Amino acid sequence: MAQGAATGPAAVMVSPSRLAWRSFLRDRIAVAGMMACTLFFVVALFGLLVTKGDHPVLDPRQVRLADKFRAPLSLPNRLAVPIEALPRLGVYLLGTDELGRDVFARMLEGAFVSLSVGFVAVGIAVAIGIIFGGIAGYYGRVRILRLMSVDTLITGLIDVALSFPAFFLILTVVAILRPSIWNIMVVIGLTSWEGTARFVRAEILALREQDFVQAARALGVSGPRVILRHLLPNAVAPVLVSATLGIAGAILTESALSFLGFGVPPPDATWGNILSDGKNYLFDAWWLTIIPGTAILVIVLAFNLFGEGLREAFNPRLRQL
Amino acid sequence: MRVKRILILAPTLVGLFLLQSYFWVPTFEDQVKGDPGRLTRYIETSIGDASILNPTLAADSASAAINTLVFEGLIDRDLDLSFRGRLAEAWEIFEEAYLTVDETQRLPDGAPATADGLLRYLERARAAGEPALKLVRRVELLLGRSSVEQIEVTEPGPEGRKPVKRQVEVTVRQPPRIKFTLREVDQDFFTKIDRLLGGYVDRIDPSRFVKAADSIITRERAAELVPPTEHNPVVLFRLRKGILFHDGHEFDSGDVKFTYEAIMAPENLSPRVPDFEPVKAVEPLGRYAVKITYKRLFEPGFGSWTMGILPEHLLNRDALRAEAVRAGRDPKGFSLRHSQFNRSPIGSGSFQFDAWKTDQFIRLTRFDRYWEGAPNLREYLFRIIPDLLTAEVTFYAGTSDAYGAQPHQVERLRHDPRFQNFSRLGLGYTYIGYNMRRPIFQDVRVRKALGMAINVQEIIDYVLYGQAERTTGPYPKQTEFYDPTVEPLPYDPEGALTLLADAGWRRNAEGWLEKNGQPLAFTLITNSGNEVRKAVMVVAQNAWRRLGIKVETLTMEWAVFINERVDKGDFDALILGWSMGLDADLYQIFHSSQTGHFQLNFVGYANPAADALMVRIRQEYNRERQVAMARRLHRLIAVDQPYTFLFVGKGLTLLDRKLVRMVEGADGTPRYLTIVPDKLGGITFHFNEWVKTAEPVLTTN
Amino acid sequence: MLSFLLRTGWKKLWTLFFISVISFAVIHLAPGEPSQIDPMNPRFTPQQLERYRKAFDLDQPLHIQYLRFYRRLFTGELRSFKDNQPVLPKIVERVWNSLWLFLAGTILVWCAAFPLGITTAIRRNSVLDKVTTVVVFALISIPGFYLAYLLIIFVVQTFHVDVIGLRTFGHQGRNLVWSFMDRTWHLVLPSVLGATAGIAILSRYVRAQMLEVITSDYVRTARAKGLDEDTVLYKHALRNGLLPFVTMLGLIVPGLVGGSVIIETIFAWPGIGRLGYEAILSRDYPIVITLNFVAALLTLVGTLLSDLLYMVVDPRIRLEGVE
Repeated sequence: MAQGAATGPAAVMVSPSRLAWRSFLRDRIAVAGMMACTLFFVVALFGLLVTKGDHPVLDPRQVRLADKFRAPLSLPNRLAVPIEALPRLGVYLLGTDELGRDVFARMLEGAFVSLSVGFVAVGIAVAIGIIFGGIAGYYGRVRILRLMSVDTLITGLIDVALSFPAFFLILTVVAILRPSIWNIMVVIGLTSWEGTARFVRAEILALREQDFVQAARALGVSGPRVILRHLLPNAVAPVLVSATLGIAGAILTESALSFLGFGVPPPDATWGNILSDGKNYLFDAWWLTIIPGTAILVIVLAFNLFGEGLREAFNPRLRQL
Repeated sequence: MRVKRILILAPTLVGLFLLQSYFWVPTFEDQVKGDPGRLTRYIETSIGDASILNPTLAADSASAAINTLVFEGLIDRDLDLSFRGRLAEAWEIFEEAYLTVDETQRLPDGAPATADGLLRYLERARAAGEPALKLVRRVELLLGRSSVEQIEVTEPGPEGRKPVKRQVEVTVRQPPRIKFTLREVDQDFFTKIDRLLGGYVDRIDPSRFVKAADSIITRERAAELVPPTEHNPVVLFRLRKGILFHDGHEFDSGDVKFTYEAIMAPENLSPRVPDFEPVKAVEPLGRYAVKITYKRLFEPGFGSWTMGILPEHLLNRDALRAEAVRAGRDPKGFSLRHSQFNRSPIGSGSFQFDAWKTDQFIRLTRFDRYWEGAPNLREYLFRIIPDLLTAEVTFYAGTSDAYGAQPHQVERLRHDPRFQNFSRLGLGYTYIGYNMRRPIFQDVRVRKALGMAINVQEIIDYVLYGQAERTTGPYPKQTEFYDPTVEPLPYDPEGALTLLADAGWRRNAEGWLEKNGQPLAFTLITNSGNEVRKAVMVVAQNAWRRLGIKVETLTMEWAVFINERVDKGDFDALILGWSMGLDADLYQIFHSSQTGHFQLNFVGYANPAADALMVRIRQEYNRERQVAMARRLHRLIAVDQPYTFLFVGKGLTLLDRKLVRMVEGADGTPRYLTIVPDKLGGITFHFNEWVKTAEPVLTTN
Repeated sequence: MLSFLLRTGWKKLWTLFFISVISFAVIHLAPGEPSQIDPMNPRFTPQQLERYRKAFDLDQPLHIQYLRFYRRLFTGELRSFKDNQPVLPKIVERVWNSLWLFLAGTILVWCAAFPLGITTAIRRNSVLDKVTTVVVFALISIPGFYLAYLLIIFVVQTFHVDVIGLRTFGHQGRNLVWSFMDRTWHLVLPSVLGATAGIAILSRYVRAQMLEVITSDYVRTARAKGLDEDTVLYKHALRNGLLPFVTMLGLIVPGLVGGSVIIETIFAWPGIGRLGYEAILSRDYPIVITLNFVAALLTLVGTLLSDLLYMVVDPRIRLEGVE
């Protein structure tokens, strides 16, 4: 980002992004959030490695009815459970669920799915947001059929999208299209692009008349290229912030959908559907609720704090304090 | 600073105000002390609201729960599952049978079979004690008549085109008919008559009586217009006198006729039409008797009269027109379905409707002039709580008296002194159905092997905490139709592998089963939102994978599951449940004619022997013979294994311990009895005797 | 001023039209039929299914359905598939129930968010600020139903009182005061839960706004004049810090529908969110479409209101509008 400034003659000056970065590092809560996010990535990838395939290291699908509702850290019942079904770790780290499946393995498996729901949904949202925001900002004055300008059309679209009660709309659409993991990602993505679009549009509007853009245009650089190479890098900060917060939102939305019975359906485990399945047994096996619930809380909190830290760091007004 | 002070004070005050409200709310123990009336109110929770409080229009269980209290049928089921009179005091079932006279034939004695001749021949045979006519009470002659009618025929189109349908005018010459009145319904009556008359019945050709100017009428179409023989079962109900609807109007035979007509009126779109479609006519015989004639033999039809009876005087054409005018709506399109009656019904049941707040509650109050005596409880409240866990919480907080509990909840609370729990065998079973249009499932050995791989007992013990029983066939276990001698499939994964090997499925290098290079792979589906089915799905997948079968699983929302998959036959294997009626009729679920789209034999089961049995069972009015045939059918189906029959769940209810039955003893003092579950799968058979006591009391049964 | 109003109004009308089209079009992707038809009733025939479809207009082309639908909606003839009751009165009744919850929640939000936001802004980077930040973010990070269950179970197990529904069910109150307090108590948990997200978001808004104001020139000037700290903060800074209050007004209105689905389902609260959820479950098209429509309408009204308020509060907007 903003490489031009760093390598130019004024390289002795600290670039704004580096300034922001330094300011960010000083915010310990945000750094903690970032580290938790990183850890979550590692766990999710590790989980994918150990739980996928026909004969995974830790099998989240292994049913052991005799060992249902074992509390965390309890040992398997070696008499009732066949040898090939015993947990690889020799102990149920996080207990077992109503079918005797290892919650630890399920959480590991779910981490990756939850993460991908968040990422894909936000990816879709950010992509749409950038496209719409970029077009509105850069080509805003072009008129369609002499009726209205592109900008009017897109801001109108944003208005329409914002007017819908987002969660209720997501619920409606998911219920109609049937809840599959892809539908959920796409629908969450399609209903949360407005913020990014607004940021990008505003940023580009502010920058498009500046010298370096004019210069690029004078050199005959094409529109999309100007947007991608020269304008977007400057809008990266707000996009990054809204993406980070968006992931948090998407994970939460998925869990809420799960609660209402419209979440990612099995066999894909997400933390959301582990939680909403587990809550039926709240009085019988607290860990089935507390573990995924707390895990969601922690990870969403981490993304939120990380995002908030970024936001503050990129706001020059506050940084000077 | 004023602003600062407001900013601190406002939240504090609001918070304090909200918290102090706690001290006004009664705790579990205080609820009765603060309001003794609470003892006379019974609160039941349900996850869903009723949709329409009219027994002829409702199709959901929540509506049914209310409708059975507000309305009453002619009959209901007694504790031993036999029928018991309610609005009807007594009844008689007999048959009216018709035989078309074919004058071109000859009688066994060589005389021409004129109507009179035939009649005389039969009378003579009866007098001589002919066994075929043993059941005949009366024989009479009905005159023939002619008519012209419009019918629709399908004719082959010109040269390879699609067949065309068109209207054809036909002349129908109905010859004289002999009417037999039989003491009992006998589906083989005409077979016997045919034998007596030396093949006479068989030789009747109805196409001789139906003529069209420019079309050929097939024998089958002609038989619809002039049936050679006809069975008309008849039910004669004698009605109880002096029964009142909640508005004080007396119930009589006109209400029965009206209820039937309301169901059959096309504009009402009643979901009960299939139950009453076989009825030919409902004729009041005076105020207190009604004769119901059926078009054909259909034994399960009798049980349909458990349906609640509507008050005619509030819903007949005049009443509806008046209501439409009052509401300012067009009387023409205004049917029973539009009436406010469905939101505030009036019946003749033991409780009368009081109030309905959508998605909150329905309140009924006892009907003091109920013919069997007013119930002990004054109010029945049906409270809607969509979430199972919060329903449980309200139970603890004392604001509901009963709720349909899950097995694990009963397991947890069975020793809690505050509650009593009931578990009794239900009428529904869970099964895995295999789509027999798919090549892999056509082999009975594969279906059997799949069933043997699943440890059903383990599912019952651990998933359902023992609150279920194994079942081996399609009938409710508490009925006689269920054959208890049929052995369930054993749990035997090794045996399953052998069976599969016999069918040609062998393990490949990676351990997966395959045949001719094709792996044994399919998808198992079920609907979302049912924890037990989901558990069965996971367990089955696990068990089958262990055999080396690649099983994918999928859950989908109910509407999608039914409309896109089940109705269209687009599935490999599925987990579902049937809730059975108490009759022996399985025609719609297992008959091979019922395999089309939207029909209920969606697994495509076809067995000619079973088909024939199913047809005979639904026509058999003799209990013993019906039971014998049903058991034979049960065994046949168990051998064919179109489903893996898993288990019958038990109905579970948790009740406040203080609910008991109170009856008057011989000396007039109250006696307390515990509530007992009944064979119907409920606990409310004696609901009118229930009371809630302030302290637990000793019961004497 | 007038032209600004007209222009905004015109734009909102267009938005409304698109909303009506979209909410109507979206619902028709649905497989499935009105839930009343019980496909698993062993004695239910396909002919009857067809009859239902006809009776409910489902066999007409989409645009005809659209026109007929909105005509019926506006003439008050539209009826729910499920119970055949007119849609609008049904929704109005539910809005009424939700309104109490919504009002209580909003009061809680305002009461808590302003002091929180202002305090944390003034003491930026203090321990209090950090702790509040984490707690506030935890409030929006926790799955709502998870928190709800923990709270419900805690309260019921500890205090043995009812918390579900509008009032202690089946208990006829002693007097009016008692009933009022009983209802208030039943508002506490759902409104607190409903307010958590609002408190978190608004307090962050307030904090950011205050920070910006505190560092602005005119506040510095006020300080330089020697005014005491409280006057500077609460008189000069707060007035501008109130802007988020105006923005929030537009944003919280849609929460009336969308945000309440889960809370109302858990608490068996007969409000508008639960109405929507039950309608979705049973494919009660008239209700679902109308609710989306009404919610969007409320949002539009909300944003219009906040635009107007902004004009009153912040003269710069007015200039921009006239320009």
